[in-house]
Amino acid sequence: MRLVALDEGADAAGLKRGQGLAEARAICPALIVSEEDKAADRRFHEALADWCDRYTPLVALEGDDGLFLDITGSAHLFGGEEALLQEMLTRLLEMGLQVQGAISKAPGLSSALARYAGNRIVADEDCETAIAPLPLSALRIEESLVRALNKLGLKQVGDLLGAPRAPLARRFGSHLLMRLDQALGLDEEAISPRRPVASLSAERRLAEPVQAEEDILMLAGQVAEALKPSLEARGAGGRVFELVLFRVDGKVFRISAGASRPLRDAGRIARLFQERLKGLHDELDAGFGFEILRLNVLRHEDFDTEQGDFEGDDRRHLSLGDFVDQVSARLGPDCLQTYQLRESHIPERAVLPVAALDHLSAAIAVKPSRMPEAAPLQAVGSDSRERPLRLFTHPEPLEAFAVEVPDGPPIRFRWRRLTHQVRRAEGPERLAAEWWLDGETAPTRDYFRLESENGQRFWVYRQGLYDQLANPRWFMHGVFA
Amino acid sequence: MARSALAQETVFALRETIARLEGKPLPAQAAAKAQDVGNGIERAPGNLLTTGIDMLDEALEGGLACDTLTEIRSEGFRHAGTASGFALALCARMQMQHAASRGPDNAVLWIADRMAAQEAGKIYPLGLRRFGLAIERLFHALPTSLEDALWLAEAALGSGVFCMTILEIRGNPKAFGLTESRRLSLRAKAAGRPLLILRQAGEEEASSALFRFLVQPALACERRLPDGAMLGGSIGHPVFRLTLEKSRNPAPLSLYLEWTPHDRQFLALDPSKHALLPEQPATHPGAAFSKTVNGPDPAPSPGSVLAFDRAS
Repeated sequence: MRLVALDEGADAAGLKRGQGLAEARAICPALIVSEEDKAADRRFHEALADWCDRYTPLVALEGDDGLFLDITGSAHLFGGEEALLQEMLTRLLEMGLQVQGAISKAPGLSSALARYAGNRIVADEDCETAIAPLPLSALRIEESLVRALNKLGLKQVGDLLGAPRAPLARRFGSHLLMRLDQALGLDEEAISPRRPVASLSAERRLAEPVQAEEDILMLAGQVAEALKPSLEARGAGGRVFELVLFRVDGKVFRISAGASRPLRDAGRIARLFQERLKGLHDELDAGFGFEILRLNVLRHEDFDTEQGDFEGDDRRHLSLGDFVDQVSARLGPDCLQTYQLRESHIPERAVLPVAALDHLSAAIAVKPSRMPEAAPLQAVGSDSRERPLRLFTHPEPLEAFAVEVPDGPPIRFRWRRLTHQVRRAEGPERLAAEWWLDGETAPTRDYFRLESENGQRFWVYRQGLYDQLANPRWFMHGVFA
Repeated sequence: MARSALAQETVFALRETIARLEGKPLPAQAAAKAQDVGNGIERAPGNLLTTGIDMLDEALEGGLACDTLTEIRSEGFRHAGTASGFALALCARMQMQHAASRGPDNAVLWIADRMAAQEAGKIYPLGLRRFGLAIERLFHALPTSLEDALWLAEAALGSGVFCMTILEIRGNPKAFGLTESRRLSLRAKAAGRPLLILRQAGEEEASSALFRFLVQPALACERRLPDGAMLGGSIGHPVFRLTLEKSRNPAPLSLYLEWTPHDRQFLALDPSKHALLPEQPATHPGAAFSKTVNGPDPAPSPGSVLAFDRAS
């Protein structure tokens, strides 16, 4: 067992990373060790990154113990870079973390400075002077490479800056020079933010944390109101919203809610979250309250404005879209479904259930605009095949007795431990398998409508033909009225 | 004179209270309302869902009101298809009526029960279309708990979007008692939208539904040939055996109805042709306990009982 991390006391006692535990115990008998839990470290690291979302939406993890924040364009919100760094470090220190930070034009340089030079802000023109006195390991290169360079007497980054590049590249590979360039900001280095950047977002920072659900909703409404002008400017409305709540103690909650069609109205957006909060009120632990509330628009679409009519439809009633939003926010998007018909003669494939939230706009497009006066008796017979009212998700096997071979229905069958005497039967309706999906060996189904002596009507099928299989199996697939 | 006037006043007040409880128009206002039907909100005849069968419509006092709770009950999951069929037939008539009167959209919401979906299958849109429903705006919800289902039903009624909401319930759960059904019925009244409670495998139970039907299967008609003859041995339109269990009518009404999907009509049939044989009782009903003889644990009788079929 080896030491992987040390606190200040252990540092002072002269322990080092990578030391064996027995050796460390010999040096310092009062050593307190706890086993490394990488998953917990990772969770903590991510929680910190979540917390840092308050400064900029672009937060990336660096290694196991670092964070990159791209504060381009957001520093002025906190009174400049100096104030931002100061505030951040102070708050993290108050949370009991020992943190060092640096601001510069390149991620590589910031990383080097934060790890080896303490809290600094480096102006763009001072890059070289700032990085020159740092040791080579500040460049984020492998340990073996650092040792090899050290052997040659190259101990600081400044030594590399003066050296000719071509021999360095020939001897140590292009990686070293790439890292050097990245540290100087000559080579573009992309950081990968943890979350996609919201297309629009607005937030509210509170002097006094809020806990009550009503307050959160009211604030969400106000923030949504602030989003409205930007949405209007783009001619768009939001489809997926995310409410980010920063709790005082650093925990961050993200609640997302989808709408069935683009939304812009603050009241409606707030209502989405009202249902959502009701749905998860146990999981949302307000603790000592939330201090920042941010509303992100994760996905937006073009907004079609509708003109109201003079008739003034019955205002007591919501629209279908509102209802779908309400239900999807509360019970999840999968609870409410609608159907899409497909070209397939296999019964279970002919109908595809789709979430109403996604499909609503399409369904509205299909809807006839205004019914004519006379009852439009739709052509029921457009598809004249008999189909059951209720279909089993998984066809249930049944035992068929006294079957007319080869193509007849059973005279009796046993299903769910009950014997049914068949009184009348219709069929077979032969449905061949879709060879382009199921393969050519997939068995054919022969469907029968059966009416039992008790007046129940069933839809059963035989899988396979008698001349191909010795003993084809029978299945119950649905029930008729 | 004064006393009789006072008595009349009391009777009148009582009648009003009863009318209010029953959700009928107040007797005094009813006459006035009949004069200006043009206001639109009050119950005109168009706000009744008729079945098209005179005898049944009379028993329903003109038809099912479009702002009430109606219960449809089946005796077991084996009759789930039949009960769903009757509920969907009412639904199809409702859609037709809305289409004729330029009412709200023909959206239908089916709130399914998970257990029922496993036992009796999920509704199948193509079958529903074949049955006479417009399925462009058919919504199916499968909530995880009864509480969610009730909330969903209430929200659906309150939204007023659906021309029919069907709430499928399995058995007689405690969480859906008189209070909950009263709540739903008030919500239906406020929103002016109907709700069908489809109780699968349930007992009769007090609820605030105005009417309760028991639906049992019956033998289907044979297919009609163009010349009016019947095609022997074919399975034609479905037939329901319908019993009006709860209504203002004291005697339970029972009749056989055939549903024709093409013109969305019910047809009353002669009961004698479609009556089923009484279900044969099991030869050895399992529920009967043997008598206790000579103490709590008698020796088992020798031999084993075989499940012979009944001789006659």
